Amino acid sequence: MSETPVKDEKPKKDMKDVLAAVETIKCPVQRSLKFVEEFLSEPMCGKCHPCALGSFEAMVRLKRISSGRGTQGDVAAIQRIADEMLEASRCIKGKDTAKFLLNELKTGSFKEHLEGHCGERECLSYIMFKVIPEKCVLCGLCKDACRYNAITGEKKVSYRSGYLPFEIRQKRCVKCGECVPACTYGAIEVIEEKSGVLV
Amino acid sequence: MGKIINLKIDGKEVRVEEGTNLIDAAQTAGIHIPNLCYLKGMKGIGACRLCLVEMEGGKAPVIACNTKVKEGMSISTNTEKVREVRKFVIDLILSMHPLDCMTCTKAGVCNLQQYAYDFEIKESSFSRKKFGYPVDEANPFIKRDPEYCVLCSRCIRICKAQGTNVLEFSGRGVGAKVVTANDTPLQESTCTFCGNCIDVCPVNAILESDRWRKGREWEYTKTDSVCLSCGNGCSISVSGKDGEVVKINSGSPDGMAERFLCAVGRFGFDSIRSDTRVTVPMKRVDGELKETSWEDAIATLTEKLKAAGPDAAFISSGNILNEDAGLLKKLAADVVQTKNCDSTVSLYSDYDSMNSATADLENADLFVLAGIAPDQWKRVLPALDAIVRKRVNEGAKLIVMHSGEPKIASAANVFMKGDEIKMIEELGQAVISKGVKAPKEMIEALAHINPSDEAMNAADLFAASKSPVILASPSLYKAAANLSLIKGDAVAIPFEANAKGVVMMGMTTEDKKFSDIVSSSTKLLYAVGEMPVKSRPDTGFLVVQNSHMTDLATQADLILPSAGALESEGTIIDYLGRIKQVNKACTPAGESRQNSDIFIAVAEAMGTPLKKAKDTDVKKSVKTKVKVTLSPFRKEKGLDIDAEQFIEDIRTSTVNGSRLLWLKELEKTVAV
Repeated sequence: MSETPVKDEKPKKDMKDVLAAVETIKCPVQRSLKFVEEFLSEPMCGKCHPCALGSFEAMVRLKRISSGRGTQGDVAAIQRIADEMLEASRCIKGKDTAKFLLNELKTGSFKEHLEGHCGERECLSYIMFKVIPEKCVLCGLCKDACRYNAITGEKKVSYRSGYLPFEIRQKRCVKCGECVPACTYGAIEVIEEKSGVLV
Repeated sequence: MGKIINLKIDGKEVRVEEGTNLIDAAQTAGIHIPNLCYLKGMKGIGACRLCLVEMEGGKAPVIACNTKVKEGMSISTNTEKVREVRKFVIDLILSMHPLDCMTCTKAGVCNLQQYAYDFEIKESSFSRKKFGYPVDEANPFIKRDPEYCVLCSRCIRICKAQGTNVLEFSGRGVGAKVVTANDTPLQESTCTFCGNCIDVCPVNAILESDRWRKGREWEYTKTDSVCLSCGNGCSISVSGKDGEVVKINSGSPDGMAERFLCAVGRFGFDSIRSDTRVTVPMKRVDGELKETSWEDAIATLTEKLKAAGPDAAFISSGNILNEDAGLLKKLAADVVQTKNCDSTVSLYSDYDSMNSATADLENADLFVLAGIAPDQWKRVLPALDAIVRKRVNEGAKLIVMHSGEPKIASAANVFMKGDEIKMIEELGQAVISKGVKAPKEMIEALAHINPSDEAMNAADLFAASKSPVILASPSLYKAAANLSLIKGDAVAIPFEANAKGVVMMGMTTEDKKFSDIVSSSTKLLYAVGEMPVKSRPDTGFLVVQNSHMTDLATQADLILPSAGALESEGTIIDYLGRIKQVNKACTPAGESRQNSDIFIAVAEAMGTPLKKAKDTDVKKSVKTKVKVTLSPFRKEKGLDIDAEQFIEDIRTSTVNGSRLLWLKELEKTVAV
């Protein structure tokens, strides 16, 4: 009976830390996701089902929306989870999480995400980086700046005819955004993945 | 009885005792409040939130499992709001629960299945979660499949309450899992395989390991009976299918501390179909045991009994039924006319102590254990150990007096180590010195005693207690019962299920005692039941009447096959003096017959027919109200036996003939 798992150890993070962690995030979907992840990682005690199982499910749904695979059903599920968690959670932590989600839902941003807009451009799967060929001078600075070898292309050599244009390989791109300031001609722009519109 | 509270549940007027929670209160009005984690008799933990109900005038819904009734309150158990919450929780649980009800053993009695049906959830609307946890099924008793777990923690709480403390959660929330220490399989943990977690699991997460395709709950015929494996005589509920016993559950009402079964009671039933069963009468011909017919066996026996007359001796075990014991006494005294007729009870008790009165363990606030060492791990009176530990966890106090180091002492508030008689005297004197009223003779008898500090501490508990219960070993009963003259009740705890019944039905000797009978020379010895006698006593003709081929039976001249415990019908008187009905759960194997039928047949062949005992005969024999008078503070001599060894001996056939043998072997290897 000696080594029963230690219980009731005081969590290192509390709800204030969770709030602090999401302070700098602007996109409601990202904020909610981070909030729930942080909440699950420490302060959630797991003593009642609506909160313990509900917030996990909310995380699953938020990840789906954040990755661009979200549906109406996901938003409805989050709404239901938040409503019921507020009603049925045992303690203030669960209720606070529910309130947070409800507030974020009110912004309407979740629905926008379903249509492919992330207003704050923080949901990386909603955007892509692209080299605009008309502006590109084939200098190669972006290629040097990219740490992930996601940019292909050849520097223009004046006596050679033909060239390999600079392009961003989307599969390799991690959307770190470091190439944007590297381009002195402003030839790398962010566009919305779904619509192809500049943002 | 506490104050009666009036309240309204769904418009129905309900009157319940003060302190009742809303789930139990609603139950009395026939209203079921859904719940997964509530365990009757234990504090509600409010984990599942299914029992939320709305209270008139209350702001938010409250959990019914942990809300006590209040005068004039009015609650609604089935409003739109709480229905939505319940639906939500069931929906979430279903998202991580296998949806294989069609092949699930628990179908029909699964709470989750019922609620999914009630709330019209065909499948979860949430994303499916699968964990791939391994199933713990390396032991032949309990199968644990965490995939089915609904995290209600009932198993953990029951295990803790009874003091075994094997199970615990690891992780939180969705990833939580019920584990043993270091997540080892059960047989590598401190598990005693009592299986009480099986009784409380609402789903298929913890189940008897051999239940797969042995039928579902609705196919079983249920028989209430009693386990006869040790002195606790626990109530059992036997589930049978096609004449075979499939499983045994605890038969005590929900919520009682008594609701407990040990591995022997729950899993020992295999032994009724074991190879060691004797199913036909056997007779020794030319030094070898040969099968014979009942007619021949009884004719042989009659002839030998007539020849032996008063030189014949009858011995029985202390777990034969009242009806059987009564007839055996008549057979010995009236038909054969011998004075030598005794039971194994006389090995550990005097007859008077077996007439001891009753006590209420469920409401006692102090337990005094004098000279007994109930132990779940050694399976010595395990139910008593569990009952005491459960009650202590609920706030009752415990004083243990023992000369050894019993395991239960670790749960005691005061452990008085040393000679029990001395401890009893010291406690008595200490209580008197606290100014508690006691009989004059007792004050005089104890005047010379100088109590120790421990005794003074114990006396504080005793003085503060309203209803103490003194549980004593039979040899100490008379001395310990003196304490009950101050207050409370005292009972002697025998080692065999029907020890009290056997004595009360008159299976007591007028000449030689059990130990004398087996150690002296007799013309004929008629031994009934399983007893701690392994080698043949010095006797001209040995008759063994038992359900199994014991060591003694192999040396017998005549073996009469008797029905096993689950194949007989009658009554016993348990250690608390209660008459308990033993019912037949299956037909006797082969040609075996119930003890009393054999006695009747023998008596008839002897020319003095006996009649079957009636219920009223038993009731007449039971003296429930025994007046305790002051007895000398003295231990009865010659009754010191090793309880562990004795109990092991009387259940040898049960253990060796069932899957319990696996456990015995395992414990042997661990011990080495």
